[in-house]
Amino acid sequence: MIKLVDVFKTYEQNKNNKITALQNINLYIKEGELVVLRGSSGSGKSTILSLIAALNKPTSGEVIVDNKKISKLPDNFASIYRRDNIGFVFQKYNLISTMSVKDNIILPLIPLNLPVDEVQKRFESVSKLFDISHKQDMIIKNLSGGEQQRVAIARANINNPKIIIADEPTANLDDELSRNFIKILSDLKKLNRTIVVATHDPIFFGLDVVDREIKIDKGKIII
Amino acid sequence: MKNRINLYLLEYAINSILRQKSKNFFIFFIFVFLVFLLSSVFLVTNSLRYELDITLDSLPQITVQKLKAGKSIDVDTDMLDAILDIDGVSDANTRLWGYYYFANAGVNFSIVGLNQYENQYKKSFQNIVEKFDLDGNKTSMVVGCGVKKILDKNYYKKYFNFIKPDGTLKRVYLGGVFCGDSELESNDVVVVSDDTFRDIFDIASNKATDIVVKVSNTKEIPTIVSKIKLLYPDCRVITTDDFKISYQNIFDYKSGVFLGIFVIAIFTFFMIVYEKASGLSSEEKREIGILKAVGWRVDDVLKERFYESFIISFFAYITGVGLSFYFVYILHAPLLQNIFVGYSQLKTTFALPFVFDFMTLSLIFFLSVPVYIGATLIPAWRVATLEADEVIR
Repeated sequence: MIKLVDVFKTYEQNKNNKITALQNINLYIKEGELVVLRGSSGSGKSTILSLIAALNKPTSGEVIVDNKKISKLPDNFASIYRRDNIGFVFQKYNLISTMSVKDNIILPLIPLNLPVDEVQKRFESVSKLFDISHKQDMIIKNLSGGEQQRVAIARANINNPKIIIADEPTANLDDELSRNFIKILSDLKKLNRTIVVATHDPIFFGLDVVDREIKIDKGKIII
Repeated sequence: MKNRINLYLLEYAINSILRQKSKNFFIFFIFVFLVFLLSSVFLVTNSLRYELDITLDSLPQITVQKLKAGKSIDVDTDMLDAILDIDGVSDANTRLWGYYYFANAGVNFSIVGLNQYENQYKKSFQNIVEKFDLDGNKTSMVVGCGVKKILDKNYYKKYFNFIKPDGTLKRVYLGGVFCGDSELESNDVVVVSDDTFRDIFDIASNKATDIVVKVSNTKEIPTIVSKIKLLYPDCRVITTDDFKISYQNIFDYKSGVFLGIFVIAIFTFFMIVYEKASGLSSEEKREIGILKAVGWRVDDVLKERFYESFIISFFAYITGVGLSFYFVYILHAPLLQNIFVGYSQLKTTFALPFVFDFMTLSLIFFLSVPVYIGATLIPAWRVATLEADEVIR
């Protein structure tokens, strides 16, 4: 399903200052698998997620998803790939804080220009699934952290993506909300979604629902 | 299906404008003001130019005035025969005209004296003498629309008392009202018979204000002018071209004031455009990054920004132009009009003629709306073409 082959990623701050984020990463994630990328801040976990979501391109190596090389996709094709395949839950949720819950959730559908009833159907389905339908007209900045996360998850799922990516999803949540999130992941796994979570939160370690834990350190896979 | 307008995108654009209400309202307000200012200037200029053209078209080909101590004095009517004898002159008429200061209203009326039984040197005057009887039982006058308003305001509903040079009064009854093609030309005009005119201003029957000359072949005008000058060296001979130059000089000088307003407006507009084009706020950048991250393509982002900037600039343009039409043609352009009609205090008021100049309105449109849209799209395009990851982190 997801394959990273000999991937290197270097960020160039200026001519004399290059930061190597990833070194020789080789990784294979099967369809329907839930994988946790463990590692401290700056270890390269988020960069791996960005490469899988085609939000960034590797300096060298290949990122292959569903047998398609996505690492060199032109910008517009990368957007279409994300829209059709990826649901991304960002660490800070990346919601538009001055917009309503509903407007944020349907954001990925806007360029598709779908009929009104189709958009409504999809919205109702995900907002009920992630228990946020009762807050649909509220403005994001007036929601709690847990509610904002549910909006972000609903938005990530509105296109029925094959792959769910979550970057430090519990960083801003208390224990109870973190456990709720794990429950949501387990539900998504039952829907045969491939899930990749980057985290250093110990709550994810040793869970039954997690198929694999991969430790990253200084841009390299350790285990 | 695919080609229909994406209403969700349009809705997103409208919401986006409303989300930044104060900023967008400020831009809208400035935009409206600048468009209003520019189009008002152009509308007033065009209307006055139209008036000027009509006035110039109605001027005589040659005017002969007698000078004494550099001032214009009455001419002898027997000069007419000598001028008519010049080869190439097709017609010549003496004119009786002048200004009468109406102290109650503080305005000047232009008074013209006509002989009802002669051919008139102007078509509008010919129409008046054919339509109205200036030599009826009562001494009467025909007045322009502006004069009528002023007389009504001062309770001169049926007649007006002119004060003659000897201090006695001359009562002249109102025989009719006329409104000419050009308000500048006809608005302040009072037409009376030649006898009434002579009585009011105490002008002898063998004298006239000046003489106007018609020439069949316009190429012969300079030759005829020189012949008249030879006959009457104490006279000033003025051609239509001389009038045009002096009118145009005044008009161009006044246009300079408008040019100043125009430059200030354009400068302000481009300051806004420069500010817009120089970059987006971090919040705007982040929003574009989020849109890219959830699957919007660069052209989706640009389309949304296009709708947003088009809605603001187009409605500001329409509002600005609409307000300027109201200002110029309903309110008669207070302040702006006075810049052009500088001595309006001494003239009757006049309404600017409605001139719809599509070219000018298009020029303002193309100078403002596409420029603003471009200034919005360029920074959005710059951000949208970056890696989404770079923008949102």
